[in-house]
Amino acid sequence: MRKVFHMAASLAAIMAALGCAGKGDKDADAAKKDAEGAAAGDDAAAKEPAWTPGRWASDPYPSTYAPYPSGTTVIRGATLLTGTGARIDNGTLVIADGKIASVGGADVAVPSGAAVIEAKGKWVTPGIIDVHSHLGDYPSPQTDSTSDGNEATAPNTSQVWAEHSVWPQDAGFTRALAGGVTTLQVLPGSANLFGGRSAILKNVPSRTVQGMKFPGAPYGLKMACGENPKRVYGEKGGPSTRMANFAGYRAAWIEAAEYKRKWEKYWDELAEWEEKNGDKKKAVKKGEENGKEPEPPTRDLKLETLAAALAGDVTVNMHCYRGDEMALVLDMAKEFGYKVRTFHHAVEAYKVADLLAANGVCAAVWADWWGFKLEAYDAIRENAALVDAQENSCAIIHSDDEYGIQRLNQEAAKAMADGNKMGLKIAPERAIQWITANPAKALRIADKTGALEAGKMADVVLWSGDPFSVYAKAERVYVDGALLYDAKDKRRSPRADFEIGQQGEGFTGGAGQ
Amino acid sequence: MTTKQRSRKLLTGSLAALAAAFSGAGAQTIAIQNARVYTMANIAGDALQSGGGVNNLDVIVRDGVIAAIGEDLAAPPGATVINAQGRIVTPGLFAPWSQIGLVELSLDEEANDSATDGEGEFAFSAALDAADAFNPASTLIAINRAGGVTRAVAAPEPGLNMFGGQGAIVDLSGAPTSIVRAQAAQSVAMGSAGIGYNGGTRLGNWAALRDALDEARAYAANPGAYLMRPRAGGLSIADLRALGPVAQGRQPLVVYVNSATDLRALIKLKAQYGVNAIVLGGTEAHLVARDLAAANIPVILNSWLNLPSQFEDLAATQANAAKLQAAGVTIAFYDPPSGTHNLWLLPQLAGNAVANGLPYGAALAALTINPARIYGVADRFGSIEIGKAGDIVVWDGDPLEVSTRPIAVLIDGKVTSLKNRQTMLRDRYKDLSRGDLPHAYRGAN
Repeated sequence: MRKVFHMAASLAAIMAALGCAGKGDKDADAAKKDAEGAAAGDDAAAKEPAWTPGRWASDPYPSTYAPYPSGTTVIRGATLLTGTGARIDNGTLVIADGKIASVGGADVAVPSGAAVIEAKGKWVTPGIIDVHSHLGDYPSPQTDSTSDGNEATAPNTSQVWAEHSVWPQDAGFTRALAGGVTTLQVLPGSANLFGGRSAILKNVPSRTVQGMKFPGAPYGLKMACGENPKRVYGEKGGPSTRMANFAGYRAAWIEAAEYKRKWEKYWDELAEWEEKNGDKKKAVKKGEENGKEPEPPTRDLKLETLAAALAGDVTVNMHCYRGDEMALVLDMAKEFGYKVRTFHHAVEAYKVADLLAANGVCAAVWADWWGFKLEAYDAIRENAALVDAQENSCAIIHSDDEYGIQRLNQEAAKAMADGNKMGLKIAPERAIQWITANPAKALRIADKTGALEAGKMADVVLWSGDPFSVYAKAERVYVDGALLYDAKDKRRSPRADFEIGQQGEGFTGGAGQ
Repeated sequence: MTTKQRSRKLLTGSLAALAAAFSGAGAQTIAIQNARVYTMANIAGDALQSGGGVNNLDVIVRDGVIAAIGEDLAAPPGATVINAQGRIVTPGLFAPWSQIGLVELSLDEEANDSATDGEGEFAFSAALDAADAFNPASTLIAINRAGGVTRAVAAPEPGLNMFGGQGAIVDLSGAPTSIVRAQAAQSVAMGSAGIGYNGGTRLGNWAALRDALDEARAYAANPGAYLMRPRAGGLSIADLRALGPVAQGRQPLVVYVNSATDLRALIKLKAQYGVNAIVLGGTEAHLVARDLAAANIPVILNSWLNLPSQFEDLAATQANAAKLQAAGVTIAFYDPPSGTHNLWLLPQLAGNAVANGLPYGAALAALTINPARIYGVADRFGSIEIGKAGDIVVWDGDPLEVSTRPIAVLIDGKVTSLKNRQTMLRDRYKDLSRGDLPHAYRGAN
C-alpha cells in the first residue's frame, strides 16, 4: 500500500552484519576476563565493565577518527545534568585536552587561559547517544541509489557490515548534531533474523566512514524478532512463522559455535606450534621438528560475526516488540551462552520489565510510536518509565528515525512526563540517562562517553534552557572538546556536500539560522 | 504535599467523578471556572504573538454549545462545575489531515482502510468516501481524544491513481454520529507522490489533473450527453461525478505538493480553474509564501521537515511555518510521529515551530481555528465563542509543551472519558507481581 503523504522513513526501515575473524589473542582474552571480573563487584548497573577486545575482535577497517583541536573551555552558571544521576545547579564544567577535566559547583576553579562561557539559565548535558539509527545507510536524499540499509535477500545476512553502506555525506548527520547527538549506532535493517554488523560512530563530519568510527567501540550485531522476517520471507522460502524464526536463529548459533570451536582450536594449536618452532635461534635438529604447521579453517564472514557474538566481542542488539518473544530470546541466549545487550523497539518491555532487569538487558524504546503493526499495538506512553522503575534497569529512548534523532531530548521528556503523571518520580537528572549514560552502557562505551565525569570524552551539549522543554535548542555541541556546532555561528555548522550550491543550502538543524 | 499538588489532586479527582457521572449522558450544562482561556477568536496583532490568553475567565457550555464567556459567571443551576484553578483552556485540537477511523494498524490490510492498493480490476479513486467506512470505535479515537483532539479530517489517501477520495470532518466522541460533514474534501497526489501514476513526470501530473477537472466539468454540465461520448480509459463515471464539486470550486482539493516549482504551478491552476486548493506538505512553500498568501492557498505542513528527503524538498527548513505565517498564509500541522495514531502530538509540532520563530498565538491558531477556517467550518468549530460547539480542553500546563496533557476534554459540550486502551494496559501491568490471579484478570474494568 502506498502511503504517499507521509515522512518516508521508518516503516520502510524493515532492515540488517558479520565479521572478521581476528587472529586469536589469548592474552587479550585473559585481560578481558580480568577486567570483567574486577568490575563484577561493583554496582553492575552503574559501573558497566569496559569492553576489552578479545580473541574475536578484529577491525580491518579501523577508525581514523582523531579529535579536532580544542582549547580549555569552562561553562559556568548552568544547570548540569551529569548523566551519572546528579543535577548541579549553578554548576561549572571544565573541558581541557578534549576531556572533561572537572565537574562541580560554583567553587570549581577556572584554569588560567580558559575560554569562559557564562551560561546562567542554560543547561548542560552529556552528548546525546542514539543506539538505533539508520543515518548514512538510509540517507537523504532517499532514492534507490542511496537505499543501502536492509539486505533483505536472505534471512541470515550476518556477513554484511553497516559501515560498508554508510554515506558520510548524509545531511541527516548534521541535523542530528544540531540536536545534540554526538554518538550513534547505525544498524542494518530488521528484515532478517540476522541483519548484519552495526557501526558505532562519533557524529563528526568526515570524508570517510572510518573517520567517524568510534575508537575502541565493539561492533554490534543486529537481529530481529517477530513480524518483519515473517513478512519479508514468508513467501520466499521462509521463515513464515515465529517458530521458524527461532529455528533459524538456533541453527545459525549451532553452526557458529562449531565454527568458533574450530578456529579456537586452530589458534591454540598454532600457538603451541609457534612456541615450539617459532624461535629460529633454537636449533631444531633435523627430524625433530614439532609437526607440521597447523592449517587454518576456511573463513566464513557470516559465522565470524556470529562466533564473535558468542564470544562477547560483538554486542547483540535484538529488535523485538513483544514481551513474550523477549522472554524466549533470553532463554535462547542462555542456551547458546551469549548475552543480549539490548532489545530495540521494545514496545512491550513494560510487560516484562522485571525479567529484563533481572537479566541486565536494556530496553530501547520510543516514547509513543505505536500501531503500525500488530506487534506495536500494545504500546503505552509509560513504557520507558516502567522499565526504568525496576531495580538495575536500563531504559533507553531511541529514534530509528532521521527526525526523531534530532529531538531525543523531547522524546525523553514525554516519557518522563507520562511516568510522573502515573505517580513515578522521575527527575530530569534520571531521565537524561535514557539518552546518554544508558545508551553508552548498551554500546559498551560507558567508560569513554555518556556522562560528565572527569576523564571522559568531552562530548557535551549546551542547551538554551531545560532540555526537556519543547522550546529548548542545542546552542553548542562539543565532540571531544571541539566545538562542532554553534547555533549562533554559521561557520560552526556543517553542510553536507549534497546540499552545497542547492536551493536552500540546507542550513544545519533547520534552526532558521 | 504542596498547595499546588493538593489542588491538582482535588481537580483530577473531581474530573474523574465527572467523567464517570456524565459520559454518555445527554445534554449537559458545564461551567468551567477560573481558567486562563485562549479563545482563538480574532487572532491578530498582539494576540497573534501571545495567543491572547485571559486569566480568571469562566466558560459556560449548555446543550452542546458555548453559552457564555466572562468573569465571575454564576454557574447555572444543575451545572457541572469544573474549577480549572488557573489552568489553561483552549478550543479542542482540530487535526486537518488524518486517516482517523480508517486505520487501526497501518501494515495490516484488514485493519487499514486508508488507501486502496491499486491491485486487480478495482476502478475507483475520487469516488471513495471516508464516511462509508469511518469506524467510531477505533481505539485511535479514544487515545487521541485523551490527548485533546476533538475534531479531525478523516480522509483516504491515493492508492489506485492520483486521487485519494473524499474525506469527512468528524468528531472524536466515538459515537456513531461522529461524522460532521461527509464529502468535505478531495485529495490529489502531485510531485514525487503523483508521478508514479502519471507517466513518471511532474508534467504528467499537471496534464492529468487538468484533464480530470475538464472531464469532471464536462460530465457535470451534461451527464446524459457525456455518457453518450465514446471514452477510452480515464476515470470512472463515479469518480468524475465525485470530482464535480472540486472542479466547480465547491469542495476543497487537498493537494500534496512540495517543490516551489509545483507550488507555482498550483497557483496558476487555481487561477485558471478556480479550485479551492489546500496545500499538504509544502516543504518549499516558504519560497513562494507571498504568492500563496495572495492566492489565498493555505498550507498544512509538518514543521519538523528539514532534510532534503527528495529533490523536491531541497529547501526544507524548520522555519517554514514561521515564514509562511509571516507572509500571511494560513497554516496548520499534520503527520506527527506515528501519524494518525498520534494526532495528539500535533502540539509538539507546533511547539517546535515556535522554537523556530512562529509566534505562540499563531501556533495555537494552527492547531484550532485555522483548520476550521481551511475547511470552511469556522462558524462552528475552532474557537471558544458563543454559539460554537463546546469543544474545549483543560490542560495541566502549556499546551505546546511536550510534558503537558489534558485533564478534561469536552466535545459538543460533553465531558468525555480520558480512559483508553493504552491507559488500561498501563494499569494492568504497572504491578508485575504475580498476585493471586494472572494479569489477564486485572485492569479490564
